Amino acid sequence: MADSFLVDYAPIAVFMTIATFVALAAVALSFLLAKHRPDKQKNAPYECGFPPFGDARAKFDVRFYLIAILFIIFDLEIAFLFPWAIVLGDIGWLGFGSMMVFLGVLTVGFIYEWKKGALEWD
Amino acid sequence: MIAGAMFYVFALVLIASAVAVVSVRQPVNAVLFLILCFFNAAGLFLLLGAEFLAFILLIVYVGAVAVLFLFVVMMLDVQGDAPRPPLKRFLPMSLGVGAVLLVQVVVMAVFWPQAQAVISVATDIENTKALGRVLYTDFIYPFQVSGLVLLTAMIGAIALTQRGSRGTKRQNVQAQLDRRAEDVVSLHHVESGKGIL
Amino acid sequence: MRDDLMTIYLLPLFWMLLGIGGILGVVLGGTAYLTYAERKVLGAIQLRKGPNVVGPFGLLQPMADGLKVMFKETIIPSGANVGLFIAAPVFTFLLALSAWAVIPFDAGLVLANINVGILYLLAISSLGVYAIIIAGWASNSKYALLGGLRSAAQMVSYEVSIGLIIVTVLLQAGTLNLSKIVEAQKDGWYIFSILLPMAVLFFASALAETNRSPFDLPEGESELVGGFNTEYSAMIFAMFFLGEYANMILMSAMMTVLFLGGWLPPLAALGFVPGFVWFAMKIVLCLFVFLWVRGTLPRYRYDQLMRIGWKFFLPLSLLWVVVVATVKMVGEAG
Repeated sequence: MADSFLVDYAPIAVFMTIATFVALAAVALSFLLAKHRPDKQKNAPYECGFPPFGDARAKFDVRFYLIAILFIIFDLEIAFLFPWAIVLGDIGWLGFGSMMVFLGVLTVGFIYEWKKGALEWD
Repeated sequence: MIAGAMFYVFALVLIASAVAVVSVRQPVNAVLFLILCFFNAAGLFLLLGAEFLAFILLIVYVGAVAVLFLFVVMMLDVQGDAPRPPLKRFLPMSLGVGAVLLVQVVVMAVFWPQAQAVISVATDIENTKALGRVLYTDFIYPFQVSGLVLLTAMIGAIALTQRGSRGTKRQNVQAQLDRRAEDVVSLHHVESGKGIL
Repeated sequence: MRDDLMTIYLLPLFWMLLGIGGILGVVLGGTAYLTYAERKVLGAIQLRKGPNVVGPFGLLQPMADGLKVMFKETIIPSGANVGLFIAAPVFTFLLALSAWAVIPFDAGLVLANINVGILYLLAISSLGVYAIIIAGWASNSKYALLGGLRSAAQMVSYEVSIGLIIVTVLLQAGTLNLSKIVEAQKDGWYIFSILLPMAVLFFASALAETNRSPFDLPEGESELVGGFNTEYSAMIFAMFFLGEYANMILMSAMMTVLFLGGWLPPLAALGFVPGFVWFAMKIVLCLFVFLWVRGTLPRYRYDQLMRIGWKFFLPLSLLWVVVVATVKMVGEAG
């Protein structure tokens, strides 16, 4: 029963396999063809004209985390919107109203974050 | 038959990478194995015919949640060489969580026939549509509650990360656009030898 | 019995492999010549000639570039995580290619006609963030890390509005299948409907999503050296580069499918021209706008970029979801 639509996915799997092979082959070929003469200066990470210092992997602004969290929430909201969008014709005003309440609740959150300055970047 | 074989492939890789998540030393690698877990779980959903759930799992968990994990883990100064905390400290906690999960699985197995009755609605139509037809009307209360949960998460995230204004000067676009030359520039004829004042 | 084997397994397999080969050829060739077109168009905008030495009109320039890149030394920075450092560009390239499996080039001309094609595309584009974060982190270089972070935050922010814009299209089309979305535009492309503002917004978000000018901050040469790919060289750099260009073509294809009526001709009288020609022409038109924008607009500042994404694109597309849904409900009730 479930197999019939799985056939649709078979080309994707084959496609990805071939694409991976093409990508790896290109990289491997370049490794084989090119001359490699690494030295200490050449392999040092880029810095504006002086030897690099410290570890590059420092802590960074908490805003990046906040953006990621807000993204998760909005992504979930969109996940709820997808099935709703394609069946809106079938579920009538109740389904419409239900989603409007849902969006309304999230809009309250959106206004809150706006007012709190969470969307400011400085 | 192929689908049956695929199930074992996905399931075995899923379990193996789940073990790797908790056993590898480098945190970044652990997150990458977690992503592999998500992929295989999506594969399992696909085998069940739940296309929508499979892709939502990828979009939400791999595309968003794991990005956050990666952000956090990459910036920790843990390079995997720190001594491990003793297992004993976490054992009671993890056993407890494991027990709860086990009970849930057992309960699910017991009520499986009833659950199947719900699922069987979705055999002949596209499963995204089947989901949509019941989610917003028949399951309206859980749906609204999930909205409130998201609101809580949003407010919580802001409350935890907001440190108040730091006196940064911000660009006010409207003020810039409203500024007119007549208001701010005045021309003076200054005679030589005398100041403006 | 043998005939069955032929018709059931081997023939579809043959068509599938032919299709895959065709798509790879078209996308890789298109990507190579997009780099050429970009230099020619930018040259024309800036009253220069662009590449004109290698071959007639410089047409062999992409081949020369490919060969050059192939013979360059791959430099792996001393502090890098070698495995992830190489995996990241390969992953970008792989993603940029595999999205094409579900794009309908013509009526029925699609490799994998899955029910949830648009979700597949969204999933693929949300995975693109990984390659960039991992590249930035694995390089263990300050510029690469900063560029990677910025790029990730930017892509993630604009993905929200892309998702909402797609929802407005789905409201009209009522399906997640890309071929059916195109067919739903038989009576009028979505760009000439209530969705016009969303088409504009989608294009702008596509610029941000592919890290193109005027939103090319991640690799803003004057500030961040080269962004997440600062430390990359030779073939693995080319993988990022080709991935970015393949993504540009992909975004143009999405724009075409969602708003410009896919393979449908602009006038019914022009139906004698095959559908994939229309599809290709619409993609080329979108790509030209990509290049035109790059030749015309100055780069945004990072705070402006984030502000326009979260405070303008997001609320507007959310509002449009409500507007389109209301119009649809009222239209069906009346």
